[in-house]
Amino acid sequence: MSSELFTSLAYCLIGGFLIFLAITVTRDNLSNKLNRVTGGMFLCAGLGPIFVAMGTIMSSSSAASGNLEGSVLYGLHHLWEMFYPSLLLFSWIFPVDRLRKFRHQRLRYLIFVPQIMQVALLVFFGQITGIFEVLRLDPAAEGLLALILKPLSGLLEWLFYLISSLRNEHTAVFGAINLFYVGAAIYFLESGRKYLSNPRLLSQTRLVLWGTRLGLGLFVVAHLGTTVLPYEFPPAIKSTLMILALLVATGIFIAATIRYQFLDVRLILRQSFVYTVTSGLLVGAYVLIVIESKQILIGLFGEQAEVISYAFIIVILLLFQPINNWIDEIIRSMFIRTRTDHRNILQRFSRQVISQFDPKKLRVIIDDSLRTSLLVEKVLFVQFDDEVQEYAILPDEDQPRRVVIDRNDLMLRGINLLDAPAYFDSLSDFMEGSSLGERLGERGIKMILPMKDADHMLGFVGLTNKIAGYRYSSEDINLLSVLSNQMVSALTNARLYVESLERIRLQEEVNMARQIQLGLLPSKPPTVSTAAIYACSTPSRTVGGDFYDFIQVDKDRIGIVIADASGKGMPAALMIAQIQAIIRSEVNNGNRIETMMKNMNQQVVAASTSEKYVTLFYGELDTTTGRFYYANAGHNYPVLARANGEIEFLKEGGVVIGALPSMEYRSASVQLGSDDILFLFTDGLSEAMDQNDVEYSEERIHEFVCKHRHKCPDDLVASILSDMKEHDPIDPPRDDTTIIALKMNNNIQVLS
Amino acid sequence: MKLSSKEQAGIVILEPRGKIMGGPDASLLHDKLHECIDGNQNRIIIDLAQVDWMNSTGLGILISSYTTLRNNGGHLKLANVTDKIKSLLTITKLVSVFEAFDSVDEAVASFK
Repeated sequence: MSSELFTSLAYCLIGGFLIFLAITVTRDNLSNKLNRVTGGMFLCAGLGPIFVAMGTIMSSSSAASGNLEGSVLYGLHHLWEMFYPSLLLFSWIFPVDRLRKFRHQRLRYLIFVPQIMQVALLVFFGQITGIFEVLRLDPAAEGLLALILKPLSGLLEWLFYLISSLRNEHTAVFGAINLFYVGAAIYFLESGRKYLSNPRLLSQTRLVLWGTRLGLGLFVVAHLGTTVLPYEFPPAIKSTLMILALLVATGIFIAATIRYQFLDVRLILRQSFVYTVTSGLLVGAYVLIVIESKQILIGLFGEQAEVISYAFIIVILLLFQPINNWIDEIIRSMFIRTRTDHRNILQRFSRQVISQFDPKKLRVIIDDSLRTSLLVEKVLFVQFDDEVQEYAILPDEDQPRRVVIDRNDLMLRGINLLDAPAYFDSLSDFMEGSSLGERLGERGIKMILPMKDADHMLGFVGLTNKIAGYRYSSEDINLLSVLSNQMVSALTNARLYVESLERIRLQEEVNMARQIQLGLLPSKPPTVSTAAIYACSTPSRTVGGDFYDFIQVDKDRIGIVIADASGKGMPAALMIAQIQAIIRSEVNNGNRIETMMKNMNQQVVAASTSEKYVTLFYGELDTTTGRFYYANAGHNYPVLARANGEIEFLKEGGVVIGALPSMEYRSASVQLGSDDILFLFTDGLSEAMDQNDVEYSEERIHEFVCKHRHKCPDDLVASILSDMKEHDPIDPPRDDTTIIALKMNNNIQVLS
Repeated sequence: MKLSSKEQAGIVILEPRGKIMGGPDASLLHDKLHECIDGNQNRIIIDLAQVDWMNSTGLGILISSYTTLRNNGGHLKLANVTDKIKSLLTITKLVSVFEAFDSVDEAVASFK
């Protein structure tokens, strides 16, 4: 007895919970078909255990009244079997309504007919029998009427026979139908999985499928075992198996619903559950107090107790109000978890994006977070491309190519005005003639999430509805707005990172350019019988514009070039490469020095802008005679330190190369004698600055060269460089420093 | 570099201050020049009295200013060239190109 009470109580609870779940699911969004169907399904499933519990109670309490089989309750209890057609319906419309294109939508509800028929049959069988009894024709009747009615009566007889056999075998017949429904539902659920891409939803349906299969298995054993096999299960085992099947299937459904937040009901569920229990307790306590107090009041006040009791009820009601509020507050604070859930999403998101600098991977994370945390079905990215200064829809599975958005697109402007996530519908004012708007509409975008930094919209994210058509709650929208801020900073970081990578790449390119440029310099100075030549170029940090070269003009003459292009970096390096090519070809052509300089100027002017120029000194040494022919195009005057200590400067020439067109150049020559030193340099040496901004200066160079003129060229260069280092210890030097030193020996045959 | 300008007898006098070193200086001076050219003022004097230093890029800016003006039928003259810049102009032989004067007044007078 007590065990029966216990089981029926358990059934009651399970049934009650299912019905409660059904109400919650339906209430969550009444306008959504999926909610309604799922709700209906749970309701039917909940009716099963409730009826079983009621049956158990009735049979135990009124064992005397006997035949439970025939009772109305027994008939009604089959109502729960509507669960099977609801399951089938559910499998049709989840996750995608596959009957959407079916013209006669309502025909699908025909699947409920057998179950309704069964209930009607069981409940109204007595009445049906009565009707048949009334209609039954006396077989002895004669006459015309009887002749007409006889076949009709036969038909009725046959129909009656059919109905009563159906009633007798209803468990088998309708059980088979239910079995078929479950099989079909499994098939549809399985085939529907291909519409799913969300990993969470996939595992959810997997769970639902296994639940359904398991339930089906138990059901088959219970059902077919009794009808097909000769062996008859004891009714207790049979009903246990049936109930087990029911419980397993629905239990798994419930688990799937709650665990995967399938309908976002977890929170509502918990909240309403606690509300229900506490308000039940509260009402109970209230009623108890009211009743008890009435007893006491009657004892105290006798006749007037009635009036006083009303006043008392009001007092208690007022007293309960704050308690009610207090409980309400506690429950609310208990369920602040909604924010915690969202905070979890945020935390996870921040953790993931903080170390992610690859914009592509970042988008994958954003996409993934939105899909798994908010159950967004599809995510579309529109991003501003800094290089082309345009917004474009980035490619995804639905659209393999990048789609550039017209700068003046009305919808784009509309979205630009947004400061927070907004429903796409709210932007309908910007739809007119907007191809972006049209595209977003086609892709089923429902929510726009702008990504804005302080002064610029980096792009936006378009979200479709949540999975299976669910709307966004206000909490979702708050979360989206915080997420969009996170996305902005993540994307900005990623962009800065890419830029810094780009800078590193550029620096590497510059380094390579420097290698090339160094490759242009002669590896060692030429050896001539009449002079010792030494050259060196110390590069600064970046690619500079210094350059020197030695060119064998003919067997006696050797050309010496020293040049410095204005500015630094790539432009200067390119200019130098150009100069080297021109100078070598001019020398090959055998032009006179002044013509050569003029041609070179023309070519460089034509090829570059006027603020770029080169200071260049070109000289040709006749190695046999020691005659030195030269032209100076705006270069620091080379110093000629005579053996006797006199100093001369090689100034003759013309304006810097490449600044102005049609410039004329003059050349000059000097006779070099033995032990004369020719010292050529670039401004890296003369303009080396100490910490007080004092330059090393040309004067100091002149003095130094004069003082150290007895040294051989390489010693002279080394000592002036170390002197310069003392003056300006920065390493590498601020500017390229190039020096050529040439010292004549006494092998020269000076022409008279 | 900072740049201010004034007008004297219909001639624009640009007064850069500090170091002329390229980079933003170039566009600053260019924009000013084009503003003058667009305003039909193509006789310009650059007063270098307050320019204490100029590198090769800075000199490049002067050259291109000169070219720009000449291409627009104008003239660029320099005034108050400091010794440092004078020697730079001498070495590069640009003294022969630029007309340099010891004072703004002399430069203005040279336009008449």
